[in-house]
Amino acid sequence: MSGLAAEPQALARTALAIRRKFLRMHYEARSGHLGGGLSAIDVLTYLYAAWLRPSDRLILSKGHAASALYAALHHFGKLSDAELSTYYKDGTLLPAHPAPLGVAAIPAATGSLGHGLPIAVGMAYSYKHLRESSARVACLISDGECNEGSTWEAALFAGHHRLDNVTVLIDANGIQGFGRTEDILTLEPFALKWEAFGFDVSECNGHDFSALGAALSERRSGRPRCIIARTVKGKGVRFMENTVAWHYWPMSEAQYAEAIAELDRTESELRE
Amino acid sequence: MRAEFVKAVEAVLARAPDSLFITGDLGFNAFESVVAKYGKRFVNAGVAEQGMMGLAAGVAFTGMCPWVYSIAPFATYRCLEQIRNDICLHRLPVRIVGNGGGYTYGIMGSTHHALEDLAVMKVLPNMELFFPCANDHVAAAVALMAELDGPSYLRLAVSAYDTVRLALDEHPSTLTRSYAVRADRSAPGVTVIGAGHGVQVALRALAAHGLDAENADVFGIARFPFRLAEDKALLASVLETKNVIFVEEHYAPGGMGESMKLALPALSEFSLMCASYRPDQRYGSAAFHMKQCELTPEALVSLVRTQLRAP
Repeated sequence: MSGLAAEPQALARTALAIRRKFLRMHYEARSGHLGGGLSAIDVLTYLYAAWLRPSDRLILSKGHAASALYAALHHFGKLSDAELSTYYKDGTLLPAHPAPLGVAAIPAATGSLGHGLPIAVGMAYSYKHLRESSARVACLISDGECNEGSTWEAALFAGHHRLDNVTVLIDANGIQGFGRTEDILTLEPFALKWEAFGFDVSECNGHDFSALGAALSERRSGRPRCIIARTVKGKGVRFMENTVAWHYWPMSEAQYAEAIAELDRTESELRE
Repeated sequence: MRAEFVKAVEAVLARAPDSLFITGDLGFNAFESVVAKYGKRFVNAGVAEQGMMGLAAGVAFTGMCPWVYSIAPFATYRCLEQIRNDICLHRLPVRIVGNGGGYTYGIMGSTHHALEDLAVMKVLPNMELFFPCANDHVAAAVALMAELDGPSYLRLAVSAYDTVRLALDEHPSTLTRSYAVRADRSAPGVTVIGAGHGVQVALRALAAHGLDAENADVFGIARFPFRLAEDKALLASVLETKNVIFVEEHYAPGGMGESMKLALPALSEFSLMCASYRPDQRYGSAAFHMKQCELTPEALVSLVRTQLRAP
């Protein structure tokens, strides 16, 4: 535990601050990929605020949520103001997908889907069997990414080797590049698939910090863990929620103002 | 070369506790001793090359140095993006080993030939290639790879023309070998350069087809990027003969010959003997395929004679 407040109310305020930062970054950069970042921010918030220890590693396999990761890292003091201010600009180490060898807090470049879990599983195997380390590895993947065969190759390996130091978190927002996951390549029964690969599986509302906390603190049974976090693409900004288009679009000035106004309302509700 | 590789990599595993061996479910009747001796430092990743390369990267991120083994086509093409993104972009010390370069697996069919492996690997950032010329060249390549901080690829092969011949000289870091020296440095001569086991065509030509009677220097190269500044004998030969015949068991585009032609000073002659794709291809032994490509000792000697006796 990082020692930061892990109460749901405090976490909600943290996530709101990260969303504000995230929206400002995207507005100033005129960059897209908002929907899949917003759906992942609550999971990222929980991981950094309450779960990751200094020796643990997080692999963001859904690299298109890099800006959400940058915003979270900045919030938790792992990226400086100067570094964050370069986001998406010429000469930055913070492009739209995480870069290799750029930022200490980001172990691996991602962006092509299906790469993160094999890396995470390799790290977990090494920590458990070669390095005698108690470090844990979390890997945040998208549901669309479960179309990739390499994700399942890694799942087979983790299950076979009973890598109980790896946790797969699926940002299951139900929407991928060109439509709804259920219409493109259905993943259901999703939990059963992961169970069949040898994982302890739990499903929860990926925006409910109590539920995330419960899922992440369940006793381990000597198997890798998979948490299917049911999320809403675009979460927190109503006009972006549950749309394919906000996977891609940048915000106009009016849209940014509307999004911030909504976060303001959410913040007042949190205070009440 | 596989037996020599097993022996060499076992020596690395024995002396370097941060090394491990990962296979894509290949190595039957070869790696049993590694399995028995190294426990968790031997990993069978299964028939899953993409996952295996990502896994190797993950292991390397924790400070380990994995050797990742499969047959050459499977170790390179299927998992090219994992090699590029996960391994090369992060400059990780992952040693990829592909057995069966060129037409080694001739009768196994096209899927098992590796005729573009050096082409795809050589363009990757930070990647270093090693392609030993002969069985007695493998240990030196493995030893150099074990010292690298970044990624590397080792191409193992069996030539249809395998010939036991001691090298006259071997450079300790480029691994370039000299196999024959011109008798008359003032007469017109030719510099034959074989890439990896491609040089075996020339060695057979020296042993049995009269190349030894021609005024030819024969070199075998084994490393890319080239380090020609260190390969002084090879460079001197080329500057003197101004006539290079390059031999490789690989397609021409992207091959070592293409790179060598660019790297050498402008020459009057540069001939390439290499593998070629044919749409009506039929299958057979490595020797069968090489005959179809005219990649034979006889063809080499004939080319040398034509060039040296041209009016």
